[in-house]
Amino acid sequence: MIKKLFRRRGMSCDAVMEVLQSYLDGETDAETARLVAAHLHTCTDCDQETATFRRIKLSLASTPSPVDPAIISSLQHFSARLTRGELG
Amino acid sequence: MVLLVSPSATDPQALFEEHVVPQLEVLYRTARSITRNQVDAEDLVQETLLRAFGAIDRFDGRYPKAWLLTIMRNANINRARKKVPDLLDDPELTFERSTRFAETDTPEQVVVEPVFDATVHSAFNRLPESFKQVVELVDLQGLAYQESADLLDIPVGTVMSRLHRARKRIRTEIAEYGLDSERTPT
Ligand SMILES: [Zn+2]
Repeated sequence: MIKKLFRRRGMSCDAVMEVLQSYLDGETDAETARLVAAHLHTCTDCDQETATFRRIKLSLASTPSPVDPAIISSLQHFSARLTRGELG
Repeated sequence: MVLLVSPSATDPQALFEEHVVPQLEVLYRTARSITRNQVDAEDLVQETLLRAFGAIDRFDGRYPKAWLLTIMRNANINRARKKVPDLLDDPELTFERSTRFAETDTPEQVVVEPVFDATVHSAFNRLPESFKQVVELVDLQGLAYQESADLLDIPVGTVMSRLHRARKRIRTEIAEYGLDSERTPT
């Protein structure tokens, strides 16, 4: 019902903003993704907002905080002792 | 315990080294996202490794990451039961109390990537821990909403609302710094 309405009139800006985060995470169904993409094609405001959120997501993903290599080697050591049966 | 199949096919040590050890960093990062501190994260990984080794003979060799995350999830539920959770703080209340940027003039410099990144990370650092959890799991570890929900043992709707609110808070700070455009947020 709602989807039929979208198909005829396209999605409203509010509706796009409602699902934007899920859209950016690839968590919407294909039809919703298609409707959002179609809206972004014709709406500068939403397109710009999407670009900003995309950039934020990229920024969050691009700088994983470092892992102290000592922790990984300590876990490797733990694994070695575990598989040798030294940890009961 | 008596091995019913040939030892070479199910040598637990070899299986563990092949499927589990390569995932140590992923496991640690995920545990750190969940527990929010190094000591608990190490404990959680060790508990996960113990359980994984105990169950390695029942692992079919496919999707080791998914298998290990399921084990970590169960280990974490057990850990959370034993310990008073420290993530019960209401994000709504604690965030409003947390410090914000001092008022400054609107920056006139052009938008540069490092400023954008720094603003995002600064805003991220001031999010409630329960918000950071989901942002890290989804944006850093690349987990799906449902995977994150399973791992944290919370409804998927909670993952979504925390994640989406976290990003909107970050976005608000971006706007306050005039880093997106001249357009004011509606
Ligand atoms: Zn629009």
